[in-house]
Amino acid sequence: MSEASIAEKVRQVVAKQLKADLDKVVDDAYFVQNLGADSLQSMELIAAFEDEFDIEMDEDEAVKVKTVGGAIEFIARVVAEQHG
Amino acid sequence: MRVCIFEDATADNFCPVNLVRPTFEVRCGAVSLRERILRGYADAEVCYFVRDYLAPAYRRRMGGAPVNDPNALQGDDLLLINGRMLALGDWPAAEGPEQIGLCGEDVAYARLSATTVAALDVSEPLSLVQQTKSKVETVPAPQKLVRYPWHLVEHNGKCIAADFDALPKKGVHGEMAELSAIYGDKEQVYVAPGAQVHPMVVLDTHGGPVIVEEGATILPHTRVEGPSYIGPDTHIVGAKIREGCSIGPACRVGGEVEESIIHGYTNKYHDGFLGHAYVGEWVNLGALTTNSDLKNDYRNVEVYIKGKLVDSGSAKVGCFIGDHTKTSIGTLFNTGTVVGVGCIILGGSEILPKYIPSFAWYYNSRIARGGGFEAFTHIVRTAMGRRQVEVADEEVELLRAVREMTKTERNEAIRKARK
Repeated sequence: MSEASIAEKVRQVVAKQLKADLDKVVDDAYFVQNLGADSLQSMELIAAFEDEFDIEMDEDEAVKVKTVGGAIEFIARVVAEQHG
Repeated sequence: MRVCIFEDATADNFCPVNLVRPTFEVRCGAVSLRERILRGYADAEVCYFVRDYLAPAYRRRMGGAPVNDPNALQGDDLLLINGRMLALGDWPAAEGPEQIGLCGEDVAYARLSATTVAALDVSEPLSLVQQTKSKVETVPAPQKLVRYPWHLVEHNGKCIAADFDALPKKGVHGEMAELSAIYGDKEQVYVAPGAQVHPMVVLDTHGGPVIVEEGATILPHTRVEGPSYIGPDTHIVGAKIREGCSIGPACRVGGEVEESIIHGYTNKYHDGFLGHAYVGEWVNLGALTTNSDLKNDYRNVEVYIKGKLVDSGSAKVGCFIGDHTKTSIGTLFNTGTVVGVGCIILGGSEILPKYIPSFAWYYNSRIARGGGFEAFTHIVRTAMGRRQVEVADEEVELLRAVREMTKTERNEAIRKARK
């Protein structure tokens, strides 16, 4: 899966989970401060990413990701590790 | 003579209530299994053998007593006692010929001389027994060893009665308001100095004794049926405490509780039913959290033990909740549910799965990843800070170890939930 394709899917998952406008889901958007994620939604995002990309995330690492861009990088790395 | 209390290979059967404590530190009655065992051996030197990962924290909790120290097995006659022993007045004799007492295949106790032990390769108690089995008399042990967590609940009432009998003082030594009542044999009550029983409280001793420890407060419109034990500094807030309950220190308990054991520092402040359950420390049960303890078809309850359903042999089995777990309002536990350590349960209005692994969260109708260890320890420090309890480094490392050792089963449960 290309990084562009991963980025597109990440943005769509975020927009759907947080009920945010896609044009606000930009790389430097913070999930909490900019996109309004509450604590449960932050956890739901992790689950949604795992479902979408068929990956298993280390939760200690996953909870450190605060932005859309950070999520794209993190997920791209995990996808590469787990799907080659 | 030195007493050695040990865990054996059945420790896993008691998961999750013994994940952060040796099996012999589970409560049954007014005290732990260990405390009741040691009642038979006042002034004896004691050493302990536990699962390795528990040793640092337990050593600290026991003020430096020998824990997992093979040297403690040398230099004196030994009485090895299986920590699962209920010790209801039938303690193995401290003195006498060498002997191994068996409950079925399980070693209940072993009395070995210093001379015998000195000649052996000593690392831990059961290897000692293995090396001496062919040379030492083996007898059936009259004592009872509990095997599963529901056995603790089953024997709780009997143990409370035994612990009451062992009290040096009985009667009312604290405050009992004029409009409170002891209904039944007034000799079957102990209200400790510093305990407060408010007006409109009934202590019903028809079924057995009621023990109210120092600093405990029982607020109005509470009924406590004996046999029951209310631990130090615990508040019972307008609750129905039915027979067979042990509530440990510094708990806040309301609603309805029946035949259950609640460890210390746990809150079940609001309405909701808890029955035939064992709840660890630092648990918070949100309002209206309720468990089933009887199936609608009255069949025996099955409980997940080590990944497999085990027939409890009983129609009345509730839930088993590990330390530091929190439930949301309205959480509903199925009959015989096991919930691990450090879980966050957002139950909603549905019956939950019968097994939720340690450190998993449950929300949106599925088992899911938690919020990370740092977030978890923040909750731990906050909860414990509210009761002015410091979190030692060894306790944090213990929780980290439990999280690591439960990782595989947690990931498996999360994976299954995604399908």
